[in-house]
Amino acid sequence: MLALIYFIILAVVAVGAALCVFLSKHPLYGGLSLVLTMLSLAGIYGLLGSPFIGVVQIMVYAGAIMMLLVFVISVLNAAKDNKTPMFDGVSLFVIIGVLALAGLVGFALVLSPMGFDASTLRGSVEMTSSNLFNTAQDGPGYFVLFEVLGLLLLSSMGAAVLMAKKRLGSEIVEDNSDNKEEK
Amino acid sequence: MELQPIYIQILALVLFTIGLITALARRNVFFVLMGVELALNAVNLSFVGFAKTLPADLSVAGQIVPLFSIAVAAAEACVGLALVILIFRNRESVDSDNYSNMKG
Repeated sequence: MLALIYFIILAVVAVGAALCVFLSKHPLYGGLSLVLTMLSLAGIYGLLGSPFIGVVQIMVYAGAIMMLLVFVISVLNAAKDNKTPMFDGVSLFVIIGVLALAGLVGFALVLSPMGFDASTLRGSVEMTSSNLFNTAQDGPGYFVLFEVLGLLLLSSMGAAVLMAKKRLGSEIVEDNSDNKEEK
Repeated sequence: MELQPIYIQILALVLFTIGLITALARRNVFFVLMGVELALNAVNLSFVGFAKTLPADLSVAGQIVPLFSIAVAAAEACVGLALVILIFRNRESVDSDNYSNMKG
């Protein structure tokens, strides 16, 4: 009973903040609302018995990704077209289509029988680490994925640095402005 | 009244819908990125919710895969924001309708 009350509070906060993301005018407010959504989702993870994922969610999502997003929004805040309308004509059809799809999926979801299993493992640090770094021959093999993930993060960081530094030289500046005038 | 797994899936569905609508309907490119992040979050919640309906050994995968998903989301945000900075320098605009220079 108490778990249900906590879940309802956290779910209402999460959905309300997600609606704030959808409806807010300035992206900075949207980013701060998204942080609130992620914090309440981390609370739901803890409620469900996976506290490690909740902590990772706070550290990586609310800490790192949203900090990066808010920082870039602040850097690019001087855009000329901050006053463009939020939606255009196509948006109406998109919203109706996605809502219809969600209704279908929800209908199928409600019909399927589900129940909590009493013997599920709690997602503690010990369970996560012993499975993630299980290098046994017949183990689950998640450690290979972990190595691949390191390569992915390294390559994406290199790609981001290469793309963002492009205009430090002066000759490329003129090249880009030429392109803009052609357009 | 107890907490049922279906409530978690419904919450994940609602969050995914809001994220998808934000990504598809908003014009500002930052809202597109934030909508994608919201949808990824909803999928993680769905993973954990389904993992709790499985018995002991099977419930491990559903609690480890979200960690990978979070890391991939971090890489996606990194590259996506670098792309936004790059296009912003060319176009001086954050409206995604102005990014249609590929004439596709």
